[in-house]
Amino acid sequence: MGFRYTMLGAAFCIFLFYLGLILSLFYFIGGKGFWEAFTQSSTLFSIRLSLVAATTATFFAVMIGLPSAYALSRFEFPGKRIVDTFLEIPIIMSPVALGASFLVFFNTPVGELIQNKGIFFVFEIPGVILAQFATIAGLATRLMKASLDEISPRYESVARSLGSSSWQAFYRVTLPLAFKGLLASVILSWAKAVGEFGATVTLAGAMPGKTETMPIAIFTAIASANIDKAIVLILILVVFGLLTLYSIRLTGKRYRYD
Amino acid sequence: MIKIEGLTILFDSFKIENLNVQIEEEEFHFLLGPTGSGKTLILESIMGLRQPRRARILLSDREVQKLPPEQREISYVPQDLALFPHLTVRENILFGIKARNLDLKLHENDIGSLVEVMRIGHLLERYPANLSGGEKKRVALLRALAPKPKLLLLDEPLSGLDPAIKADIQHLLKTLHSSFRTTTLCVTHDFEEAYFLADGITICIDGKVEQVGKRDEVFLKPKSRKVAQFLGARNLYKAKVVRREESFQRVMLRVNGLQLSVPMGLCQGKFEMGTEVDLFVRPEEVMIIRQGKPVKDSLRQNIFEGEILDIIDRGRYHNIDFQTTEGKILFEISIPNYAFRNLNISAGEKIKVALREESLWVMP
Repeated sequence: MGFRYTMLGAAFCIFLFYLGLILSLFYFIGGKGFWEAFTQSSTLFSIRLSLVAATTATFFAVMIGLPSAYALSRFEFPGKRIVDTFLEIPIIMSPVALGASFLVFFNTPVGELIQNKGIFFVFEIPGVILAQFATIAGLATRLMKASLDEISPRYESVARSLGSSSWQAFYRVTLPLAFKGLLASVILSWAKAVGEFGATVTLAGAMPGKTETMPIAIFTAIASANIDKAIVLILILVVFGLLTLYSIRLTGKRYRYD
Repeated sequence: MIKIEGLTILFDSFKIENLNVQIEEEEFHFLLGPTGSGKTLILESIMGLRQPRRARILLSDREVQKLPPEQREISYVPQDLALFPHLTVRENILFGIKARNLDLKLHENDIGSLVEVMRIGHLLERYPANLSGGEKKRVALLRALAPKPKLLLLDEPLSGLDPAIKADIQHLLKTLHSSFRTTTLCVTHDFEEAYFLADGITICIDGKVEQVGKRDEVFLKPKSRKVAQFLGARNLYKAKVVRREESFQRVMLRVNGLQLSVPMGLCQGKFEMGTEVDLFVRPEEVMIIRQGKPVKDSLRQNIFEGEILDIIDRGRYHNIDFQTTEGKILFEISIPNYAFRNLNISAGEKIKVALREESLWVMP
């Protein structure tokens, strides 16, 4: 029985550890500036920016990630291993390093050309979106590939023999069959984008009312000893997080982090 | 006529070279081969899911090897069936009609009669998860047949079923084929399935075609020891041609001291004296001679005395292990139960057996 209790004890400790952390936030609730911080325009701006930027970044990540995930799941091609490995770049690279790499890139001739003739990223809202996109695109692809891997390619084979083109077979058969898994992947990627800090702050800066997302706002609030505002923002992030987990539950998908 | 010519597949370490299969219109053709002989690869190449190194595929004079799978009009029932789990039985069945933009009205009658033959009328609104194994097979077959394909491909259609359901589906396949006459190519390793259903058979071992022919031709007259062994033939013997009797059109063979006489017509090729050959004796065509009964002239050529070593009850028939006194050759004899009861024999008994001419076959 010692074995069983040791393992269970560890699981319980982890639970208490995180629970305690969240409960401690409530110690400061109701302080003088607390309710004010809630309705401050800068707080509302951060929330809005975070939601818009994360949703846009997720949209782009899915647009490029879903076809890539399909290719990696279904086709054999030279360099497949390398492509697959590169999806992990944002996971193994520190977010700050990722953001800094962008700053370097936008100082190269190609980067400058993009900034001058196209969209300006550095210290601008597009920079926020780009940083979030860079952080989640690899992850989203990986997660969606795992969902597609679960669907036997045989379904598409049969659909094609029955007269569907490869596009039709994809959206009539594979897509609906993998839908729950794909949706869970999208939600998880979105949550990761909402919480992104390092790359965003490096590329887009921490400019209140311009590029200050919720995590950045928390950082600046703490840095300027504005505990009330920080706690308000943390609580909102926690609520977003819990909603995310709950909606993944609704998709019926048990997600494995690997 | 459906022709697959020069099919060459190289896949990892696997190799199929220059495979040729011909299927007559409305034929139920079997591609028989041991497990792991690349049968699924062959099917996928015919369908166009896999690009073979080389192939020419003709569906009644229409070359299809360059067409994508959806334009070939070849339906496919994979081993795992792959019924679409998110669609009801009805939606599964109509998938091909919708995908090809066919007019449902034109196909309604045919599909209706298929549904009737398959006995799945009561299942149409269910999802595949709520079907039994046999029901799933029937739905998968119907889904493949509904758009009236030029060729139906079946991958091991009877594997993984309970014996009772297997027999049921086997009969169903026979009924379906005799009423709808869809040209069918079935790949399997199960030669008993092929025996029951096939019109024609191509035997493919290690990526090479070993024999092509009508069912009986292949089963009764295998071209080589390899084919005979694959078809589960017992009573295979190494023999030597010891004499040729041209006037009687017979060949005398010696198997380990036992002499047999075989009509030249039952030899695959013209064997000279001293040639080493393989002799195949069909277990169900060996006669046990009942004492006191007259023996027909046609059986007089090869009568041997010997002893019953063992009798094995196989359910529907009995297997008798018989050893000749001369040469100590072991024969397996297979007789139906009613005949066995009439014989009233037991292990250890001395008996005489006669080899019918039909039981003999000599291969190079």
